[in-house]
Amino acid sequence: MAIVADTRGNSAFASMSYWRVSGIGYAVPALLLLLAFFVLPVLALLLRSVLEPEPGLGNYAALLGSTTYLRIFLNTFLVSAVVTVLSVVIGFPVAWTLAIMPRRWAAVVFAVILLSMWTNLLARTYAWMVLLQRTGFINRTLINLGVIDQPLALVNNLTGVTIGMTYIMLPFVILPLRGVIKAIDPAIPQAASVCGATRWQCLTRILIPLALPGVAAGALMVFVMSLGYFVTPALLGGTSNMMLAEMIAQFVQSLVNWGMGGAAAFVLLVVTLAIYALQLRLFGVGRLGQQGN
Amino acid sequence: MLLDFDRLGWWKWMLVSITALVTLFLLLPIIFIAALSFGSSQWLIFPPPGWTLRWYEDLFADPRWLQSAWVSAKVAGAVTILSVVLGLLASLSLTRGRFRGREALRALFITPMILPVVVLAVALYAFFLRIGLSGTFVGFVLAHLVLALPFSIISISNALEGFDKSIEDAAILCGASPWEARLRVTLPAISHGLFAAAVFSFLVSWDEVVVAIFMASPTLQTLPVKIWTTLRQDLTPVIAAASTLLVLLTVGLMLLSLLVRKALKR
Repeated sequence: MAIVADTRGNSAFASMSYWRVSGIGYAVPALLLLLAFFVLPVLALLLRSVLEPEPGLGNYAALLGSTTYLRIFLNTFLVSAVVTVLSVVIGFPVAWTLAIMPRRWAAVVFAVILLSMWTNLLARTYAWMVLLQRTGFINRTLINLGVIDQPLALVNNLTGVTIGMTYIMLPFVILPLRGVIKAIDPAIPQAASVCGATRWQCLTRILIPLALPGVAAGALMVFVMSLGYFVTPALLGGTSNMMLAEMIAQFVQSLVNWGMGGAAAFVLLVVTLAIYALQLRLFGVGRLGQQGN
Repeated sequence: MLLDFDRLGWWKWMLVSITALVTLFLLLPIIFIAALSFGSSQWLIFPPPGWTLRWYEDLFADPRWLQSAWVSAKVAGAVTILSVVLGLLASLSLTRGRFRGREALRALFITPMILPVVVLAVALYAFFLRIGLSGTFVGFVLAHLVLALPFSIISISNALEGFDKSIEDAAILCGASPWEARLRVTLPAISHGLFAAAVFSFLVSWDEVVVAIFMASPTLQTLPVKIWTTLRQDLTPVIAAASTLLVLLTVGLMLLSLLVRKALKR
């Protein structure tokens, strides 16, 4: 002890408290990075939406006053809502099974989910473009089976976007929901069935209500991610079925209209933040850490 | 009994079939592109009429594919290093610091992950045009770093929260300097978090499309941008070949992280 104190010219305890990270110091490099290359650019873009071409709310009026743009908003909300419902309805039984099935099988399903999540987004979207096209595997199989006579239009429309997006969003429902269901005490449904509840009653009155926070959190997350999704709608939706993110990109890249682009980005930003605020209100900060992009 | 797999009765088989179908659904596109990349049909007919390596030859014959892959690797490498270093420092501050606004700071650090990427892409595009970073290597790295940092901070913060600080204090009491204690005691103890941060950061940058589309110039583009521009022209099987190689890389990374995690747990 004396040696330690000597070499530092201070007591070990004092030097410890001196070195203990007490302040914001170590966070400064990351903070500066975010201020310069995240906060500042986003604020600048929002400013342009009220300053260009002339100061005022003209861009917002144009955005919300035109049926073309309103249709894009409507498309975006509609597709996001359908994708959310599909992901939850399909994802719930899978998450449930994954939570209770024997470990070895669960590991296989888990590996497939992770593989699909980690596979390059463009590679997955490309696969769906090929699978869903008029002469693609799905149409040919359905025709060969005699289910349909004419190929279905599955791509370059909102059907294609919905299928592709559901594929991408499913893991984001399954993984957190599995955790929520795993955390439910098996004795609770057990007790209900001992007391005479049918399986169906157990499901609708016990399992689903207990899993509801997980369902709601997953659903909100999928909905908000879908609202701002760019790649998959742009590739599977075709030119006539634009969604919000692609519209923002178009304003900036093709039309070089920064005012309108900024206004549309601001609308998306406000809706996104509002939904996250709702999620925080409902479920607290804990869940935010589980999100992917 | 709903949570006891063996006492579900016929519900068990219903659940198992749904799960099997969904697993197939998740696997289908991946198997499909792998098969098509070896198929001889230009029009991507499945099952392929014959087998060929032509698309892989085309892929490697076009120097732009390799160049863009190399750009991607360099950007992702730089992002990984910076993201882990900045993430570690920020996490130290977030988990051990006692200052006002810590929770607000944490929220700010996570925000780039939850905001729609297209907003950041458009905003950075405008900003980089103005300061001359658009279409540059530095621009790519900075943009991807903003997106990767939240993943790094979450992974490392989680690891730090699970680490008992008093072990580090003990090392200091035993005569280690504070930095020595951090490097030789704390860092090894949170190495799984650092590794996860590195893997996530690399993947975020390597797979990132939206920001990259805006950032790319004719002379500097990443692999996802190359795939994107090719996809917008036609659905050539060369993309299937490129995608298959990417899937193999993903599988490789998954196995690697599994092995590393096992090794670190020992």
